[in-house]
Amino acid sequence: MPAYHQVGYNSENLLFDDGLARFGGAILSPLNYGPESVATQIQRLKDRKDYVTILDPHLYRPQSERMCLPEWDYYPKDVETSDFNAEWWAAIVDKLAEVAVDLGPTAVASPAIIPKIFPDDFFLQLVANGARLEKALRGTAVKPIQTVVVSMADLAAPARVMAIASIMSRSPASECLLVLLDNVEPRRELAEPEELKGAMLLISTLESGGQNVTVAFSSSEMVLWKAAGATNCASGKFFNLRRFTISRFDEPNGGGGGQLGYWFEEALLAFLRQSDVLRVRDRGFASAASAENPFGADIIEAIPSKKTWVALGWRQFLYWFADAESRLRSGIVTAEDLVSIADSNWAAIEKLKPPLLMEERQNDGSWVRQWLRALVEFPYVR
Amino acid sequence: MPIYTLEPVARAICAAAGYTFGGGIGQGTFKETYLATKADGTKLALKVLRPGFSPERSDREVDAMKRCSHPNIVTLLELAEFEHAGAKYGYLVEGYLGGGTLDDRMQRNLLSRGQVQTLGDELIRAVAHIADQDLVHRDFKPTNIMYPSDDAEAVVVDFGIVRDLKKESITKSYLLSGPGTPFFAAPEQLNNEKALIDWRTDQFAIGVTLALAHFGFHPYREDGEDDNQAITRVAGRSGPSAKFTQAIGAANLPVLGKMVQPWPVERVRIPSALLEGWRKQKDSN
Repeated sequence: MPAYHQVGYNSENLLFDDGLARFGGAILSPLNYGPESVATQIQRLKDRKDYVTILDPHLYRPQSERMCLPEWDYYPKDVETSDFNAEWWAAIVDKLAEVAVDLGPTAVASPAIIPKIFPDDFFLQLVANGARLEKALRGTAVKPIQTVVVSMADLAAPARVMAIASIMSRSPASECLLVLLDNVEPRRELAEPEELKGAMLLISTLESGGQNVTVAFSSSEMVLWKAAGATNCASGKFFNLRRFTISRFDEPNGGGGGQLGYWFEEALLAFLRQSDVLRVRDRGFASAASAENPFGADIIEAIPSKKTWVALGWRQFLYWFADAESRLRSGIVTAEDLVSIADSNWAAIEKLKPPLLMEERQNDGSWVRQWLRALVEFPYVR
Repeated sequence: MPIYTLEPVARAICAAAGYTFGGGIGQGTFKETYLATKADGTKLALKVLRPGFSPERSDREVDAMKRCSHPNIVTLLELAEFEHAGAKYGYLVEGYLGGGTLDDRMQRNLLSRGQVQTLGDELIRAVAHIADQDLVHRDFKPTNIMYPSDDAEAVVVDFGIVRDLKKESITKSYLLSGPGTPFFAAPEQLNNEKALIDWRTDQFAIGVTLALAHFGFHPYREDGEDDNQAITRVAGRSGPSAKFTQAIGAANLPVLGKMVQPWPVERVRIPSALLEGWRKQKDSN
């Protein structure tokens, strides 16, 4: 299945950008848009053939004042005082099902919060929410999706992965929206090989059991999730918000990476700042995929004129995301190909004379080696 | 010979109900079972509950049986309380299953490939119905699978340790293992991993039962090992033995291999899919 576009703050225009038409679906955001806006988005997207729209209720970090969420009928008014018991959840799920049927997206994800810890009871409640949603939507045109929220740290232990997968596979919903939580800084890559292998094991186990997995909030590590067999991966807009960290929901005030243009380079599986882009290209490391990316060409054109290219950077990454997903899905390229090439390129860069240092100290390709490890070791996990 | 301590109570119940008392026919942790015959000749199983023994469990058993209505599941005909010698006894009346147990049949001969295919179909239909009620039987085994007559379909009995997934678990979390018969129990049952218990726990036990009925050995048992070692392997989730894997390959029973996988997620997720897979297995044989 094609990549999904995860809609972010003030980025509705990207949904309808002709250059990003390769996305096969969108995860709509009640956090960033009220019911009327989302209804309009769904209507506009309905004309697209086989295009999937998913309503994600976004209860991850419930607060009474939470951007557009209070405008939604399903959003509880008592989040600060509720004890989040089964009845509380049931009422939200029922209301969510009603809202979804009225709006008419292709599917709606079951509600979930981000907990402090992840005991079995938490996963059982997620399943209960998914089961109730499935029941409430029977006979309607809206499909239920089981939301699965897991901590990457918990996934380092394969037995825990299998236990979580065993609980979540109890859901009657045949599709999952997987939200992987980590404590990695927003602008850095996931690089713990045991956690990555665990996440891959979770994806492949759920998929083998008959539940299609959509990995939400993916960044470039999407290549690993596809290698594990994820049916879909969804990407966000902003580079600085590309991962499911707290800042994904607390939009940063001023500054931050959101204000800088970043180029995604497949040859290095890295996000590059402007001077990096020019030097990497000069030294012959840019990939064919980057050369063929129409937004990449626009960026190269914009650089000499000193125009800001932040918005082009978002598009350049999103284009790569959908394009790479398509190549991985069709078998034109494998995840191991992409990561191995990046690993070799970073090794070559290390030996360059004169040296090629990236603007950001942490942009050293170290995660690529860990990704390669995860890929080659994954088949032997357990 | 088992000693039936509740026989006077059973006799008194029969006398009061107008049944002919037929003697003890079975015992469990929570109850004793007696044969009773109605005036019209209909045979019944009278189950007298041991006094004071986990009334909560008895309630759940009765509640579960009341919720189930399926040809491959024993039917509860009556539930009542009886006062005898100053004490109150709960009792159940079920249809009498005179064809004996699967265990009796296995003592005589292992089941053929065709017989195990049929038995699997019957047990999967039963567990699908049980799962539909959000129940987990937790004690599928040859002695809990009975036959009304020699040529009738199998009937699942004894809901004594049934788990109702809609209610709080009765089993204490601190216990090393949960209730069940260890030889047939799934890893999550042996390890008391309560959150992992669902209908797939029964699927595992049915798989062990079918393997035992057809091959004569536990799916986790390697050559030269005893039953305890097989149970240890199950608890440790080492996976089915090479011997078993070879046997299911030769018998064309791949679904049986899936049923006894160590983690619930590795077994068949949905009862209808299990039944469909099981039947396809037959078609390709």
